[in-house]
Amino acid sequence: MTVHNIRVGESKRGDASDGTLAEAVGGRLSRVDGPAKITGAAKYAVEQQLEGLAYAVLVESTIASGKVRAIDTASAEASPGVLRVLTPDTIISLRTASDWLGTTPPDKPYCPLARDITFSGQHVAAVVAETFEQAVAAAALVNVSYDETPSIVDLSDGKAGDGIAIDAMTKEWGDAPAAFAAAPVRICAAYNTPREYQAPMEPHGLIARWEGDRLTVWEPSQWLDGMARTYAEWFEVPFENVRLVSPYIGGGFGSKALALSHGAVAASAAKMIGRPVKLVMTRPQTFTGYGGRAATRQTVTIGADRDGVIQSIVHRGVNETSIDGMWVEPLGSVTSIMYATPNFSSKQNVVRVNSVVPGAMRAPGENPSAFGIESAIDELAYEVGIDPLEIRLRNYAEQDPHAKKAWSTRQLREAFAAGAERFGWSRRSPKPRSMRDGNQLIGWGVAAGTYPVRRAYGEAVVRILADGSVEVESSSIDMGQGTYTILAQTAAETLGVPADDVVVKLGDSRFARAGVSGGSRLAGVMTGAVHKAATSALDQLVGLAISDPRSPFHALQANTLVVANGRIGSPRGDGPDVSIAELLKSVGRDRIEATGDTMPANSTAEDRYKNYTTIAMALPHTEGDYSRYSWCAHFIEVRVDEDFGTVRVSRVVSALDSGRLYNPKLAESQWKGGIIMGIGQALLEEGIMDRRHGRIVNNNLADYLVPTNADIPDIEVISVGIPDPHSSALGGKGVGELGIVGVAPAIANAVFHATGKRVRDLPITLEKLI
Amino acid sequence: MAGIAVSTTINGDITEYLCQPDETLLDVLRDRLGLTGAKEGCGTGDCGACSIILDNRLVCSCLVLGAEAEGRRIETVEGMAHGDQLHTLQQKFLEHAALQCGICTPGFLIAAKDLLAKNPDPSEEEIRFGLAGNLCRCTGYDKIVRAVQDAAIVMKGA
Ligand code: FES
Ligand code: FES
Repeated sequence: MTVHNIRVGESKRGDASDGTLAEAVGGRLSRVDGPAKITGAAKYAVEQQLEGLAYAVLVESTIASGKVRAIDTASAEASPGVLRVLTPDTIISLRTASDWLGTTPPDKPYCPLARDITFSGQHVAAVVAETFEQAVAAAALVNVSYDETPSIVDLSDGKAGDGIAIDAMTKEWGDAPAAFAAAPVRICAAYNTPREYQAPMEPHGLIARWEGDRLTVWEPSQWLDGMARTYAEWFEVPFENVRLVSPYIGGGFGSKALALSHGAVAASAAKMIGRPVKLVMTRPQTFTGYGGRAATRQTVTIGADRDGVIQSIVHRGVNETSIDGMWVEPLGSVTSIMYATPNFSSKQNVVRVNSVVPGAMRAPGENPSAFGIESAIDELAYEVGIDPLEIRLRNYAEQDPHAKKAWSTRQLREAFAAGAERFGWSRRSPKPRSMRDGNQLIGWGVAAGTYPVRRAYGEAVVRILADGSVEVESSSIDMGQGTYTILAQTAAETLGVPADDVVVKLGDSRFARAGVSGGSRLAGVMTGAVHKAATSALDQLVGLAISDPRSPFHALQANTLVVANGRIGSPRGDGPDVSIAELLKSVGRDRIEATGDTMPANSTAEDRYKNYTTIAMALPHTEGDYSRYSWCAHFIEVRVDEDFGTVRVSRVVSALDSGRLYNPKLAESQWKGGIIMGIGQALLEEGIMDRRHGRIVNNNLADYLVPTNADIPDIEVISVGIPDPHSSALGGKGVGELGIVGVAPAIANAVFHATGKRVRDLPITLEKLI
Repeated sequence: MAGIAVSTTINGDITEYLCQPDETLLDVLRDRLGLTGAKEGCGTGDCGACSIILDNRLVCSCLVLGAEAEGRRIETVEGMAHGDQLHTLQQKFLEHAALQCGICTPGFLIAAKDLLAKNPDPSEEEIRFGLAGNLCRCTGYDKIVRAVQDAAIVMKGA
């Protein structure tokens, strides 16, 4: 449970130019969870202090492929403080759980510790001890011997092969190969992205505690109900017996949405020793304990007229997956919608390599997809001698070229215009290597990005308490996006109370259920649910005020009343004027409570369970008459040292269409975070493999480079969105994923403009430029 | 379990604790003393989330042993506000939306406090390089820079 009760003396009026009150929806209210975080008072999941806590530490495979021959645990068991050593032979047996679609799992046991090794870093054993230090020391004494077999290191491994065709990813219309062959201008190039890692600053970890057959898990989570379902299925206990608590999450970026094998190990250990167990991954373990973004390969061919109008796009994509898991990174997702083309073909394969199964990382699919198409269109621009911005407008898709539906809203043209204006694009000298400052080559690049609007049903509880304050409850989460804040704004505005009087409680699966916080859907889903719950609470409140004989408004015979700033009065202001607390007292009520639920009216209990614990009921973004996406355009300046090939991003202007912003201050922050992650992707981030052992070598924050303050310039973001009623109840589209999409190609395009060298292989490191 | 007896000053309060020889100061603060403001992002000195000030020096508390704190003066994020009165840097972080998930924030606040103590009037570049040892994966950094600049102005005037 989370209560933010430190008041800060800040003006209620935000700095929005339209004069929106900071605390209204759309206002620039400061983060309500901010005071707890900046004072160090906020307790994150693994910071709970529990009586009798024991510590577990994982032991990982040192080979990438083969079998565990034996595990010698004798010295570890004899080590001071050790309570238990868990191996595949000694850990309790679990059942296989369903996947995130809710697909019925095979009826077989699940063991989170592996005998068959399919990647280096796989969990093979765990040590539980009285202290963390004792567990670390003993883990080093666990002696695992293996029968090693050859591994497939990555996509470039000769043994990798062409992989498996994923027919569901095929998108085709017209006759793309024929139109390409007939086109007067043809370009064809291959674009690669490496393994990348979410690297949230808070490592994954949890505390698990059993009380009888009830399990409580304190774990940073993007999806409490989804993870509770998995734990319940693993341990064969009712869903209701599992409680997930996750008040604050130290970043996730897609990596904290699912219950993972380390969670199964910790919860098993807790059950086995009858004490709460804490297990936190070391930073190196976070590189193999779950999957980052899969490495990808794409070829993009474009056939066009001499004036740059596209006639055909042929796209082929490949991503890596693990030996026994399936991850498809949808590489044709942006390719198929960004530009109008009469002929199109996109196909995708996946290739099995000895890696942990890749996972979701900020804009899975759209991000690498945009690197391909947004680089390729830039190449086409130079080929036909047209400005890179102009060629994008010339091929502007007036409707969704794939779904053949109207866009719900698409402010991409506006984004190009606003970004270009602010950036000063018209002053760009078109030729590569034509702008410089001393020995620095200056390049200006542009690229667009997009992300679909993912929608789902939501639920929330709103309570008006005796003192007139308001409580909002949901088991959804805030990993920094601003959920606490925008839900307080939504409840405050709907009910007519100050945002300071609203307490939002999130991150506990005992609260009203919630689906996954991923794919940028949470804000749209939850503002809709809170709005609905608050509206129904308001109706009850006003209903009581009008009809209860004890109400001061009873004699008025009004058919409506207004609530503003926590007070109730008649619309014409001619009757009594009382606070909500006074009204509740006069009618003898200590609270009003309403549940808002945006599920269809005839939904069954199973539907609800499915909606909140799986993603099977998510609404397609092309449902009905519209195709719904967020859009953006990035304008980026780079400076490349001519002698050393070092690239610095020196200026970023991005214009983004996320529809209506519920809180611009926090949305801008999200966008900027996405943009710098894109700068990291373009210039720094890459998992590097030791090819002899099939092992990642830069599995730490000194060697896996994420951008630091010193790498980042001033970033300007401009909102060009308009309310989109087809995308969400209050008109917003997605925010969190959008910012990163298109950044890497904008930088690659800028680097080409600076140097005349086209780098199609991320990251753009200096050896690729000299 | 016996341990090494340590007497130290934390945020102005004399504090005594027992710790094991292999326990980091970060673990002592977080697990023994319940001061969970300092965070562990890496445990190897690479992220700055565990930043504290030890005798006027900014250090990664994950690289200091608990036993080494004997007789020294420790400042953590918990000591920055006075009651409800936030430190100027905290106030400015809030106003500029310089935090999201908040895991890096205590480290940034402490590092910024140290920076301003040593250089009350830093340029943007000095702030960017001065805080380059603190990683943030959420915010995009520039709001942190603005917050520190703004705080520096207020603190100079104070
Ligand atoms: S936890 Fe100390 S520097 Fe990362
Ligand atoms: S706010 Fe999340 S890492 Fe900085």
